[in-house]
Amino acid sequence: MLKWVGAAFLAPAAVAAGYGEAAWPFLVSAVITAGCGLGLDQITGEKRGMAVGPRESFLVVALIWLLVPIFGALPFVLGDVPQLARLGDAYFESVSGFTATGATVLTDVEALDHAMLFWRQLSHWLGGMGIIVLAVAVLPRLRVGGRQLLQSELAGPTEIERFTATIRETARRLWTLYVGLTVVAILVLAAVGWTGLDDAMTPFQAVSHAFSVIALGGFSTQNESAAAFVPLTQYLLLLFMILAGVNFLRLYRLLVQRQVQVVRTDEELRLYGAFLVLGSALIVIELLAGDFAQGEEAVRTGMFQAVAIMSTTGFGTADYTEWGPLAVMTLLLLMFVGASAGSTGGSIKVIRHLLLFKLVKRELDSTIHREIVRPITANGVPVEERSLRSMVVFVLLYLLTFAIGSLALLLDARFGGTELTAFEAIGASAACIGNVGPAFGFAGPFGSYAPMSDLSTGILTLLMWLGRMEIIPVAVLLSRNYWRG
Amino acid sequence: MRIVVLGAGHVGAAVVEALHEEHDITVIDTDARRLAPLADRYDVRTLEGNGATKAILRQAGVEDIDLLIACSPNEYANLVAATVVKKLSRAKVIVRTSSIEYLEAWREREIDVDFMVSSELETANAILGHIGVPAARQTDVFADGQVQVVEFDVLESAAQSGVIGVPLREAALPPDSRVVAIIRGESMVPARGDERIEPGDRVIVIASPAAAQAWSRVIAGDTKTVEDIVVFGCGRMGQTIARVLLDREIRVRMVDADHGRAQEAAEELQEARVFHASAFDPDFLVRERIGEETAAVFAMNDDAKNLYAGVLAELQGVHLTIALAHDPGAVDVYERAGIDLPLNPRQVIAEELVRFAHDPRIRQIAMLEHDRFEILDLTVRAESELAGRRLDELPQTGSVIGAIVRDGSVIFPHGADVLRPRDRVIIFVESERASLVERVL
Repeated sequence: MLKWVGAAFLAPAAVAAGYGEAAWPFLVSAVITAGCGLGLDQITGEKRGMAVGPRESFLVVALIWLLVPIFGALPFVLGDVPQLARLGDAYFESVSGFTATGATVLTDVEALDHAMLFWRQLSHWLGGMGIIVLAVAVLPRLRVGGRQLLQSELAGPTEIERFTATIRETARRLWTLYVGLTVVAILVLAAVGWTGLDDAMTPFQAVSHAFSVIALGGFSTQNESAAAFVPLTQYLLLLFMILAGVNFLRLYRLLVQRQVQVVRTDEELRLYGAFLVLGSALIVIELLAGDFAQGEEAVRTGMFQAVAIMSTTGFGTADYTEWGPLAVMTLLLLMFVGASAGSTGGSIKVIRHLLLFKLVKRELDSTIHREIVRPITANGVPVEERSLRSMVVFVLLYLLTFAIGSLALLLDARFGGTELTAFEAIGASAACIGNVGPAFGFAGPFGSYAPMSDLSTGILTLLMWLGRMEIIPVAVLLSRNYWRG
Repeated sequence: MRIVVLGAGHVGAAVVEALHEEHDITVIDTDARRLAPLADRYDVRTLEGNGATKAILRQAGVEDIDLLIACSPNEYANLVAATVVKKLSRAKVIVRTSSIEYLEAWREREIDVDFMVSSELETANAILGHIGVPAARQTDVFADGQVQVVEFDVLESAAQSGVIGVPLREAALPPDSRVVAIIRGESMVPARGDERIEPGDRVIVIASPAAAQAWSRVIAGDTKTVEDIVVFGCGRMGQTIARVLLDREIRVRMVDADHGRAQEAAEELQEARVFHASAFDPDFLVRERIGEETAAVFAMNDDAKNLYAGVLAELQGVHLTIALAHDPGAVDVYERAGIDLPLNPRQVIAEELVRFAHDPRIRQIAMLEHDRFEILDLTVRAESELAGRRLDELPQTGSVIGAIVRDGSVIFPHGADVLRPRDRVIIFVESERASLVERVL
C-alpha cells in the first residue's frame, strides 16, 4: 500500500523537474515512504498466514487513513513551505487532500511551487480512488453504510449482479470509470484552454482541476478558486461536479452499459436531482431578491455554489460568505446532504436522507395503523431492518460528532484567544466532517483555516478523518468490547 | 391407460378417486401413512419413496406408462419427476406448481411438460371472476381471463332492463357476450333467438370480462364492484390471490398472524398494505375499518380458522366473504355458517387434472348446476368433420360455442362465423353429451 503512495511521489517530482523547481522533497518522500512500505511488507510478510478478520480490518482501514496523510505531508515539511511551517498545518493539509475535503490553511495558494500544488491536487485524486474502494467494498463489508444501500440499485438485470461478485472486480471497473472520467475532464478543460476560450486554463490547471473535481475534493491552484476562470469553464466544472456526485455503480451502468431506463427510475438519483434543484433555486432567489448578483451570474454562481457544497466539492465562484442569510443557511444545510452513496463525496449522503424520509413515513403510518408491516425499500428492494438501524445510528453519531466538534472549536477559541463566531464554528465543523472544505467567515471559499489554532486544526483534522470513515468504524474501535474477547 | 400419480395428498387422492375405475394407477409418495388409506379404499398400486429419483420412477414402471400426474405439493420434485419421465418414456406429463413464474415459462414453452396447473392461480382467478361480477351465482374464468362464464339468478327487479321478457334476438344484450342456456326450474331451455329470459330463470352467459360486468348490472342493477379486499393469510395462496387482484388495480390489504410471513408478503407485494395481526381480533377489524365496504378472502391453511374468521367478519358487516376450504367436507360447513363463497382449491385443480387424463385437448373445464352442465375449453382437431362449417350449420344438440380463441385473440361468434381447424372453443355442453362433443370436434 505505502509502496504505491511512494511511487505516486514521482509524479510531482516530474512536474518539479519540468518547471525547474526543486524535486528533491518528493524524491526523498518517495524513498522514505517506499522504504516504510517495504519494511512493513517484510514484517507482515512473515505472518502472512495471520487471518485478517473483520475486527482487524476496522483497525487497518482506520489506520491507513491516518497514516497515509502523514507520508503525504512529508513534501510540505521537507519542501519548507512557509505557510505550512507548523507540523499540524502540514498534516491538516494532507488529510484534507486525501479525504477529498478541500479545506486549506493556505492563505496564498498561488505562492506555492507548481510541484507542491500538483501534489495537493494529486492527493485528492489518490484519496478519491481510496474512497471508491472504501465506499463500495470496505465499509459495506464492515456493515457500515450497509451493503444494501449500495446493492439496492443493483436489482434487475443479472449482468450487473455479477458485477458485485468480487470486490476486486468491482473496484477495478470503478477505477477504470474513475480514471476515464478524469481523462475526459482533463481533455475537456484543456480544450477550453487550447481553443482560447479561457486563457487561465493551462494544461497544468486542467489536470489540477480535473483531479480535484472528479474526486469531489475542492483544492484549487488559484486563490480565487473557480472564480479565476471564465463562466464557460465554471459551467463545465459544475457539470463534472454533478456527474461525480452520482453513485459510481450507477454511473457505470449509464455510461458503460447504457442502461438508461434503470438509471432514470433510480430513487436516489431523483432525490439527488431534487436536492440540487431545490438548493439552487433557494440560493438563486436570494441572490436575485437580495441583489447580490444579477441575471446569468446569479443563476450560474447560485447553482455552482449549491452543487459545490452539496456534492462536498467546495469550489467557489463567488464569496458566498457575503451573501444574504437565506443563501448562507441553505448552503449550511446542503453541507448535511452530501453526494450519493458510492461516489467520492462525503457527508450524510442522499440515500440516507431517502431512507430516513421513508422511515419517518412508516413511523407516522404505524402510529395509526399499529399492526402495519411495511418494509423500507430502496428502488423496490427491501432494506434490512439491521441496516436501517445502523443507518439511524450513523446519522445520530454524525450529528453528535458535528455538535461536539463545533463546541470544541468554540472552547478552544475561548481559551486560545482567537476570534470565532458561533456560526463560523458550526460551519467549520460541518464542512470538515462532511468533507466539504470551505466553511463560512474567514474559512470561506476564498479564505482559509489559517487563523485557527493548532488545537482547532487538530480537531478539524479529526473531523475530516471521522467523516471520511463514516464514523462507525472509528466508534467501534473506541468501544471497550472491541478490544475484549 | 397406465397412470403414475406422484403425491398422495389431497390433490392426489382426488385424482385417484376420479380415475381409479377406468385406469391402471400407481401412486408414489414419500410417506407411507398417506399411501395406506388410498391402497385400502381403491384398487391402486402404491410405492413409498422419493418420486424425484430415477430409481423409484423405474420401480413404478414409468417406461410403459401413458401419463404422469405429478401433483405433490413440492413443485421441484414434480418438475424433476416430469423431466425424468420425459426422458424415459413417451408418456404425457402433467405438473402441478404453485409458482406463476413456472406457469409462464411453460406457456412460453421453456418448460417441456404437456400440462401445468397451479391451484393458487386457479383459485385466485376464481375469486377474481367472482368479485368482478358481484351479481353472479357462479363464475369461471377461461383463456387466461379473456373469457368469463357466468351464471346469474334473474330477479324480478331486472324486468325493466330491456333484456327480460323480450325475444333474445331483439333484446339489448351487452356486446361480446352470448347466452348459452336458460335454466327454468329443473329443465334447460336452449337459448334460441326466439326464446325469452323470464324473472326466476337462471341464465348462463359466456362473455368478455367487461360484458360480464355489464350483465351483472342488467340483471341485478348492481353497479357496486368490489374495490377493497382484505386477504387473511400471507402464505403462497394468499400472495397469489393478492397478486392477481392487485394486477386488476383492486386495493388489497393483507393480514397474517405470523410476522415472518407478513414481512415476506410485504416485501413481495409492495402495492399491498400488510398487517401483522390476528384475524380473530375484532378490535383490529374495527380499528382498520374492515367492515361494510369491504370484501374478505380467508386464505389461511386451517379450515377452522378460516371459518371462525369468516363468521367474525360477517358479524362486522363485511359484505362478501370468500373462504378456502381445504377439506372437501368443509364446503358444506362454510355454507351453513353463511360464508358467501367457499372454495376448495384442491378440488379445483383435481378436476383439471382429471379432465386432462380424459382428453389432453381440453385445456379447462367448469362444472355448472351440480355437474349437469360443463363448459369445456377444447381445441378443434385438424381432421374434425365440423371444421370449416358455419356455426349455424352445426348439428343442433343443445351445445353452444360461446367463444373462440383464434391466434391468441377472442371472438364471441355469431351464426355466420366459420369454425376452423385448431380453433380453441369455449363450449357449453350437457355433461352426458360431453364425450360425444369431444369425439366430433
